[in-house]
Amino acid sequence: MATKKLRRAKLSQELCERLSRYQITTCQDFLCLSLLELMKVTGESYRNVQKLLRKVSLACAPKMQTAYEMKVRRSINPSAAFLPTSLHSLDKVLHGGIPCGSLTELTSPPGCGKTQFCITMSVLATLPVSMGGLDGAVIYIDTESAFSAERLIEIAGNRFPTYFDSDEKLFCMTRSIHLYRELTCDSVLKRIKSLEEEIISKKIKLIIIDSVASVVRKEFDTKLQGNLAERSNFLARGASLLKYVAEEFSIPVILTNQITTSLSNGLAIPADLVSPAHDLSLSEGASGSGKKESACVTAALGNTWSHSVNTRLILQYHDLLTRQIVIAKSPVAPFSTFFYTVEKSGLVLQDGKNLSNLPWEGTNPALQTIQVRNTALGNALLKTTDETPGDTPSP
Amino acid sequence: MQRDVGSLPLSPALRARLLAAGFQTAQELLETGPCGLSKEIGISREEALEALQVVRQECAGDAAKTAGGSGSTRKCTALELLEEEQTQGFIITFCSALDNILGGGVQLTKITEICGAPGVGKTQLCMQLAVDVQIPECFGGVAGEAVFIDTEGSFMVDRAADIATACVRHCQLIAEAHQEEDHLQALETFSLESILSHIYYFRCRDYIELLAQVYLLPDFLSEHSKVRLVVIDGIAFPFRHDFEDLSLRTRLLNGLAQQLIIIANDHKSAVVLTNQMTTRFGQNQSMLVPALGESWGHAATVRLIFHWDNTQRLATLYKSPSQKESTIPYNITTFHLLKSFKIIKLRASGLPRCAASTCHPKCRRY
Repeated sequence: MATKKLRRAKLSQELCERLSRYQITTCQDFLCLSLLELMKVTGESYRNVQKLLRKVSLACAPKMQTAYEMKVRRSINPSAAFLPTSLHSLDKVLHGGIPCGSLTELTSPPGCGKTQFCITMSVLATLPVSMGGLDGAVIYIDTESAFSAERLIEIAGNRFPTYFDSDEKLFCMTRSIHLYRELTCDSVLKRIKSLEEEIISKKIKLIIIDSVASVVRKEFDTKLQGNLAERSNFLARGASLLKYVAEEFSIPVILTNQITTSLSNGLAIPADLVSPAHDLSLSEGASGSGKKESACVTAALGNTWSHSVNTRLILQYHDLLTRQIVIAKSPVAPFSTFFYTVEKSGLVLQDGKNLSNLPWEGTNPALQTIQVRNTALGNALLKTTDETPGDTPSP
Repeated sequence: MQRDVGSLPLSPALRARLLAAGFQTAQELLETGPCGLSKEIGISREEALEALQVVRQECAGDAAKTAGGSGSTRKCTALELLEEEQTQGFIITFCSALDNILGGGVQLTKITEICGAPGVGKTQLCMQLAVDVQIPECFGGVAGEAVFIDTEGSFMVDRAADIATACVRHCQLIAEAHQEEDHLQALETFSLESILSHIYYFRCRDYIELLAQVYLLPDFLSEHSKVRLVVIDGIAFPFRHDFEDLSLRTRLLNGLAQQLIIIANDHKSAVVLTNQMTTRFGQNQSMLVPALGESWGHAATVRLIFHWDNTQRLATLYKSPSQKESTIPYNITTFHLLKSFKIIKLRASGLPRCAASTCHPKCRRY
C-alpha cells in the first residue's frame, strides 16, 4: 500500500527519523524521489540507496501468483465466479453471468429497464447458492430515488413463486437489501470508502450503484473550466475504489449509466451539455441531416470511464414492446444482442427472436449507438397510422 | 584515475568532507590509504575502507570502459548486432497480418506499446502473447515465460485458459501432421497447466505499487531467467487520476521507461505496454490520442494503435524503426486474434500439410 509508513517497511529507526525531518514518512514519498534526492536526504552512498529502495519496494509491491494458481482457486469454487442473471441465453454467452470481482456497467435511455434489472439482481443475490444466488446481502446505493420496495416484492413473488411462498421468506430477503440514498458526489464517494467495513460486517455479496451518471452530471458542468478534469478525477477515484473492493471480496459490482448525444464530427464534449430532454430530439438528426452533423446517442461519462468498467451491457429500445440487451464490452463474451420485455416478474428474454451471435459486428463500446424511445415510437406511429407528419413529434 | 572526487557515488556528507579537506582526484584518495584518510577527515577506519572500496570499483569500471573491455559495457559492432538480430526470435501473435506488419512478431529487447479505445482487444492481445511466448522452439516459438503486471483488473483466467487450450491444440495438430521426435517430446511438457503456471501475475492497485514492482523486477527476472515477456496491462490507468503535479508524473514515467528499457536489454525480453486513449480538444473538434502526453510517445520503440472503423477493428503500426506504417483489419475469435475474413477450420488429422497453415506463415514449413 502506498501510504504505508516507512517504519513498517523495516527501515532502521534513525533513518526513519531523519527522513521524517524532510517530511518523508510514507512509502509513496520515498518512491517518488529520484536517486540523487534520496542520496541527499538519507546521506547514504549510491549502492546503499539502491538497497534501501529495494527494501521499501518489497514492502509495497504486490504478491506474485501464477495464472495456474488463480485458475485452481476459481475451480475450487466455481459458483463464486459469476452471478447468474436468470436470463439463460445471456448467462450462456457471458460464461455464467455477471462476473464477480469486476465492474459491470448498465447503460440505457430512460425507462428501458435499468432499475428493473438492478432490482432483479438484488433478489437473485439473496437466493441460496443452490438456486444460483450468492446467499448474501446487497448494498443498493440509490441516487435517483427510483428504488421501489413494492416492485421488489412483486418481482420476487412472480419470478420465484415456489421459493417465496411465505411472507417470512420475503421479509428475510428484504431485510438483506441495504438501501442508501445518496444525493451528492461527495456522499457517494464517502459511501464507497465505507464499503469495505460494511461488506465484512453485513456479509455483502453484491453492490449496486444506481446511477453514477445522475450525481456526476448534476454537479459537474463540463462547460466550466477545470470541471472536466475534476469530474474525471472523481470517476477514476470511485472506479479504483470499487475495483479494489470487488477484487478483494470477489463480489460483483453493478453500476448504471445514462446516455448522451455524441455528434459524429468528434464533438463529444459539448454534446454532453445537452440535457436529457434534448437528447431525444437531437437523436433524430441521424436520419435527417446526413453528412454534416449526424448525432448518435451513446453512453455518458466519456471515454475514460469506458476504460474503467470491465463489462458494459446496453439496454435499448427495439419497438413498442420489446427492447434489446446488447453486450457491448466484455472480456469473455463476443458482441451479442438479445430481445426482452419487462413484465411482472422483471426482465424476460424473448428466446424465439434471438439473433444468432454476430461475432464480427459491434463497434467501439464508448461510441456504440443506442436507440432511444423516440425513434422507436416514431417508427411505430408512422407504421400504424396515416396521420400527417404534423402529429408526430417534429424533428 | 584522474576522476574528480565530486563525481564519485559516495554519500553526500562524505563527499563534502573530502572536498573541504582538499582532495580532488580519485588517485589521491587511493594513495592516502584508509588510515591516513580516517585521520585527515575524521571518520572511522571502517568508513574510510568502505569509501576506498567504492572508489576502487568505480575506477576499475572506468578503466574497463576506456580499454574497450567486455562485461559492463554495451559496445559491439553493427555486424555483431545484425547476427544477433537475425537469430533472435519473435513472439508470434497468431494473426499473420499483424505479425507481418510488425516484421515477424513482437520483438525481444524492445518496448512495444499498444494503444486503443476501450474494448478493442488490448488485453486479449496481451493474454495471447503471454501464451505464445511459451511455445517450444521446435514449433517456432521462443520457449520463454511471461510476467503479467495488471493495473486495471482486466485479466480473466478463464479467457487465458481458452487461449492456452487453443494454442496447445494447434501445436498438437502440427505434431500430428509432421511426426517428429522432438515435437512429441516438446508436447509432453506443453500443456494447459504448464502454460498457466509460467504466467507470473502481479496485481498493482496504484502507481506506487507499480513503481515498486518495476524496481523489484530485475531481481525477479534474475531468479526466473526464462522470462522472455513482460506485459504491463494498463500503464496509463494508475497515472491518470490523483496527480496534481504533472511534472512529477512525467519524471516518474520517464524513470519507468528507462528501467523498462534496461530490463528489456539485460534480460533479452520483450516489454509490452498497453495505453488508453484520451480526448484532446482542438479548436472546434476533439480527437482521440494516446494518453499520458507527448513525451511518453518517446518511451516505446514500437507503437501499435488499435481502433475502430464502424464495425471493423483495425490495427495501425504507428511507430517503428524498421517497418513501414500500415493498417490491417483483425478480429477476435474464441481462440485468438485473427486476420479478418479468414476463418480457421481445424480439421481432423491425417493431412500432408498443417491444417492451420492459413493462419500463420511459419506453419508453411510443414
